[in-house]
Amino acid sequence: MKQFLLQRLGSGLIVLLGISIFSFALIHLIPGDPIRIMLGENATAEQVQALREQLGLNQPLLTQYFQYLSHVVQGDLGTSFKTGRPVLTEIIERFPATVKLAASGMLIAIFIGITMGILAARFKDTLLDFSAMSLATLGVSIPSFWLGILLIMFFTVKLGWFPIAGGTGFMDLVLPAVTLGVLASTVISRLTRAGMVEVLTFDYIRTARAKGLGESAVLFVHAFRNAMIPVVTIVGLQIASLLGGTVIIERVFDWPGLGSLAISAIASRDFPLVQGIILFIGVIFVLINVLVDVLYSVIDPRIEVGKLKEGT
Amino acid sequence: MNQANPVLPAPPPVPSQKGTSRMTWIREDSFLEKLWRNPKARYSLGILLVVIAVGIAGPWLAPHDPTQPFYEDLLTGPSAEHMLGTDSIGRDVLSRLLHGARVTLMVAVMAVSITFITGTFIGVTSGFVGGIVDQVLMRIMDILLAIPNIIMAMAIVAILGPSLTNAMIAVGIAGIPKYARLTRGATLSVKSSGYVEASRAVGTSHARILLFQIMPNIMSPLLVYTTLQIGIAILDTAALSFIGLGAQPPTPEWGTMLSEGKEYIHDAWWLATFPGISITIVVFTVNILGDALRDIFDPKSA
Repeated sequence: MKQFLLQRLGSGLIVLLGISIFSFALIHLIPGDPIRIMLGENATAEQVQALREQLGLNQPLLTQYFQYLSHVVQGDLGTSFKTGRPVLTEIIERFPATVKLAASGMLIAIFIGITMGILAARFKDTLLDFSAMSLATLGVSIPSFWLGILLIMFFTVKLGWFPIAGGTGFMDLVLPAVTLGVLASTVISRLTRAGMVEVLTFDYIRTARAKGLGESAVLFVHAFRNAMIPVVTIVGLQIASLLGGTVIIERVFDWPGLGSLAISAIASRDFPLVQGIILFIGVIFVLINVLVDVLYSVIDPRIEVGKLKEGT
Repeated sequence: MNQANPVLPAPPPVPSQKGTSRMTWIREDSFLEKLWRNPKARYSLGILLVVIAVGIAGPWLAPHDPTQPFYEDLLTGPSAEHMLGTDSIGRDVLSRLLHGARVTLMVAVMAVSITFITGTFIGVTSGFVGGIVDQVLMRIMDILLAIPNIIMAMAIVAILGPSLTNAMIAVGIAGIPKYARLTRGATLSVKSSGYVEASRAVGTSHARILLFQIMPNIMSPLLVYTTLQIGIAILDTAALSFIGLGAQPPTPEWGTMLSEGKEYIHDAWWLATFPGISITIVVFTVNILGDALRDIFDPKSA
């Protein structure tokens, strides 16, 4: 177990290092002079020189990278070019809103996805199964922002159930969370269905039925536990795409999270902030992945061995 | 002759007989035949052909110029003159939608080409060469996979600057890591198959194995990923345009139209409705086709 954990942490660290290189490289990949782009055409030569020195862009590339890395490790992600505040402060301020949205979305996704998946598997090849799976395909085909707009049009504009976008209270949270959740549920429902269909053919399920257990006990206690492992993995992986999806949804509902921050940072070409956000999201993702791996081996201890063999 | 010699066993049935009633160029077990027999593939291909036709003929079908404002018809709902209504500066929504079909298709094809060519190259190299090359390439892909697709695309747009072309490039590049991983997997499974080992044993060169054995045999899984990737590319490009990092006004792009429609959500439902329906229909059809192709190539997973 310890060795397994160390190994996961090790490969996580390599990915983190790579992400730091990527976010560092961002500013150097910009065609032309990033300083000129940030300051605009009217900047004086002194201004350009000052910012170049402030960002350390006049030093050798490798020196720059190690400086960047040592700052990052100390929690210094630079200074936002537009607001003049530390990038980390800007991110930390916005992060809770994004977590709130993503977590609520995930809960909704898990609830809808697992319910639909189990029902579709139980009533395999019926109209219910067909409708559930068609909805799942539709779910991956609808632009998330359009679903959000539709929900606003119907529930906010027409029925007036929810406040007009802009706040962060519970009522403001419902629609964006539902949008995210409905879309993220599609993958979960497909996987749950696939897992359940397989498990339901096993002998012990017949035994459970034969000894007179109720259908819900068979489904939830006996079958679902064993179909859950791939679902746990995908829930972990979904968190990344959920973070990505949040960016767009935040824009639709004017939700003041990391996504809105990223969009405005890119639009205003505030590169230190863009770099910081990329790095931050990468770190979060790696942490989640390590966590999922650990959780995985807790649920099914056999996996540990297999993974280790595969990994070396 | 058979009747003359009853002792001989009956000749095997002539195999071509079953096929003669069909068009001869479609063999019984050919790919086209399988496509035709799968209802999902048949219908989705049919709809896609219509979409492509609209993409090509859109500018001629459109009743008005997509950028021409009708100042006397600002934000009017669907009517005989403007079948899908007009937007805030009086442009005809139907015309913009029809022109947008071309933009969407072109963007999807270009973005997916970038993903396909680069992703296949990296994946096949990684799987075929193996060793340290494989290790390094896949570690890089892992790193890139750690950043959500759309955020990666946003980062690339941040580098290149917001425009439709750059959004297309960004979406194409952002798709590469996952695609390369899948291609590597397919390459590995073909590489370890009996026929490749057999031809290696008789001394076939690497290049020949790569070109004539690996490539043709990974094409079917690649076709599935590529099809599904088209849907993702359309959604991501529209998303980038929606947040203002893709197509810039007045380009009639569906994502941009949705972004404009969102501003008038209280007054003009049609603005945000029709572009959304269009995107959903196209992506849904592409995804159904992808599913059908998967069923055809890999009947076990169905």
